[in-house]
Amino acid sequence: MTAARRAYQHVWRVSRRAGALAMAVLRELSDERAYARHLAICGRLHSAEEWRRFSDERLRSRFARAKCC
Amino acid sequence: MLNFKRILLRLVWAGVAVAAALALAGIALNRGERINSLWLVVAAAGTYLIGYRFYAKWIAARVMALDDRRATPAERLRNGHDFEPTNKWIVFGHHFAAIAGPGPLVGPTLAAQFGYLPGTLWIIAGAVLAGCVQDFVILFASMRRDGKSLGQMAREEIGPIGGATALVTVLLIMTILLAVIALVVVNALRDSPWGTFTIAATMPIAVLMGLYLRYWRPGRVLECSVLGFVLLLASIFGGQAVSESASLAPLFTFGAMSLALMVIAYGFLASALPVWLLLAPRDYLSTFVKLGVVLLLAAGILWVRPSLEMPALTQFIDGTGPVFKGKIFPFAFITIACGAISGFHALISSGTTPKMIAREWHAWPIGYGGMLLESFVAIMAMVAACVLAPGVYFAVNAPAGVVGAAPAAAVATISSWGFPVSTEEMAALASGVGEATLFARTGGAPSLALGMAHIFSASLGGVALSFWYHFAIMFEALFILTIIDAGTRVGRFMLQDLLGHLYAPLGRTSWMPSVIVSSLVIVAAWGYFLIQGVRDPLGGINSLWPLFGIANQLLAALALCVATTILVRMHGARYMWITCAPLVWLLSVTLTAAWQKIFSPLADLGFLAQANQLQAALDAGRVAAGRVGPTETLIFNARLDAVVCAVFAVLVVVIAADSVRVWAGILGGRIRPTMSETPFVATALNAEEL
Repeated sequence: MTAARRAYQHVWRVSRRAGALAMAVLRELSDERAYARHLAICGRLHSAEEWRRFSDERLRSRFARAKCC
Repeated sequence: MLNFKRILLRLVWAGVAVAAALALAGIALNRGERINSLWLVVAAAGTYLIGYRFYAKWIAARVMALDDRRATPAERLRNGHDFEPTNKWIVFGHHFAAIAGPGPLVGPTLAAQFGYLPGTLWIIAGAVLAGCVQDFVILFASMRRDGKSLGQMAREEIGPIGGATALVTVLLIMTILLAVIALVVVNALRDSPWGTFTIAATMPIAVLMGLYLRYWRPGRVLECSVLGFVLLLASIFGGQAVSESASLAPLFTFGAMSLALMVIAYGFLASALPVWLLLAPRDYLSTFVKLGVVLLLAAGILWVRPSLEMPALTQFIDGTGPVFKGKIFPFAFITIACGAISGFHALISSGTTPKMIAREWHAWPIGYGGMLLESFVAIMAMVAACVLAPGVYFAVNAPAGVVGAAPAAAVATISSWGFPVSTEEMAALASGVGEATLFARTGGAPSLALGMAHIFSASLGGVALSFWYHFAIMFEALFILTIIDAGTRVGRFMLQDLLGHLYAPLGRTSWMPSVIVSSLVIVAAWGYFLIQGVRDPLGGINSLWPLFGIANQLLAALALCVATTILVRMHGARYMWITCAPLVWLLSVTLTAAWQKIFSPLADLGFLAQANQLQAALDAGRVAAGRVGPTETLIFNARLDAVVCAVFAVLVVVIAADSVRVWAGILGGRIRPTMSETPFVATALNAEEL
């Protein structure tokens, strides 16, 4: 394998990891990861009703705190 | 080999230190020549790296003794909701998104009236030595106490006075904060059909997103946010079409008072409506837009590397500035506020973040590093404000009451200060961004939008200036309105909590009469200050922004008192200087600013002098018959501002005195230095779980 190819693969790996991390941050900020954890912990399947229950609870606590200036 | 790597590493750090020192010297000593914005970026980034690697790491290792073998609350109290061990970079993103608000954008823009130097130096030094330390120590303290809030820690570490003061302070700050940021939006949208249409469109877009998430595609938040963002971009183009339409433009053209009433009505609706319908979708959208724009602006500055047109120092360091009155000390520090140190961050550092940290050492990049990034946002705002020609900056930011209402009078006044600007130049600029006029657009948002648009447009070869201007206005207004609606709702909850002690049903957050009454009270409180700002002949920002800055720094003083008390309990007097030195500085700044705002004999600085001057004019019959009523209102408002300012100052003194009592008790042996940390429990998390 040439040095250029190795460098290319390294950059590709780093870019993929950075992309995955950015996506994970976005999913955390969007509550999608929290919802997945909620389903796993409660042993439930995704449904519209389940999302509404989760979302109501989560938003209630989130919007009880002041937002930063 | 190992030795070679160590030497290389030391050389790299020495290089960073030298680069930062040279850049700081370059921006501090330069006079009379334009400098490139990269000097500011290098000075800031180099100082941040040194502060992060050496000062913060020393605090973490020596003072806090962070220990990765110790289980954090996220692990011990894990419930999958609030408490969940999370990857440190995800928590970093979460924490930064929570602490990033309009303060570090607007504050430096306003402080640019002193020149780029004072604000830049305070943003860098204040963040490294005060703001980051505050966030880091409070995060550490909360993490060692099961994620307790700042109020709870104040009550436990200092006493009931500290705890009660925290609650009152947060309510007061929110009232002033909501009023001042609402004023920023009102001034940005005044007589602007393009901007008003775009911002108005964000409301049906948010409702559509709410319905989409609730009923059509439940749980698909990212997908829904992408849809919302596309619609937002479409609304900017729609705004252009509206502004160019002879029949539609008047429908979206409003004066400041009409816009203020609309924002107040919006705040009430957002507080009373179900949270999923309007508030939550806007919050998701504004978070993503905020992060995206910050990254875009950083890339734009690095790509364009614009020169700063503003001098290092202007003559307004003597206190005669047109944007706001007051000398460089203390008002540069009060005005910068969140870009260097923000009390509100202590609420986040003792809120969600400590409940997500998986390893104690993660608090280092999250607590200290998160604030460094916030400070860098403030540096970018300073760059965006200072790339404008000073004449243009002052024409946009100076109120008509100071420079004159007519364009010719305004440019003559501003040019006489040594900052040449012409009516033709301002007309061309306004036309270029699709606005009727850019004179006296106070509040900081329009000039920041101009600077951002300049950078974004230059990145693309100088095209689409008007699109980028309105994109920047949309970005600023979107997340300011998100804070207004969320803040009104939080204020409503706090009030309902208090009213519940008087009459139990009033405490029920789902009982509609209580919801309506408490929402009205909160909206009326900040709405009053907003209308006061709109009526103020000096533009409102002159009186409201310093009040907000003083209030914000008051909360920071409370957080530093709590942090110092914890350090005194841990180590006695040995390390208390780490938080006590910034506290002493903050107290001197806050109390001096409060004193001058209340008692300065200058009418455009001191509230009481302003009231007395107006009263004297009224008594002498020098006020026209039609202006008697408004003048009496101005007198009342100035006196009210003086009272609010005095309350803030008294709260600062009470907190500081109570804290000194506790420190003296501990150091003198009268109070046992007990620690309220949770006992050590070994972690069971392995690396794969993170």
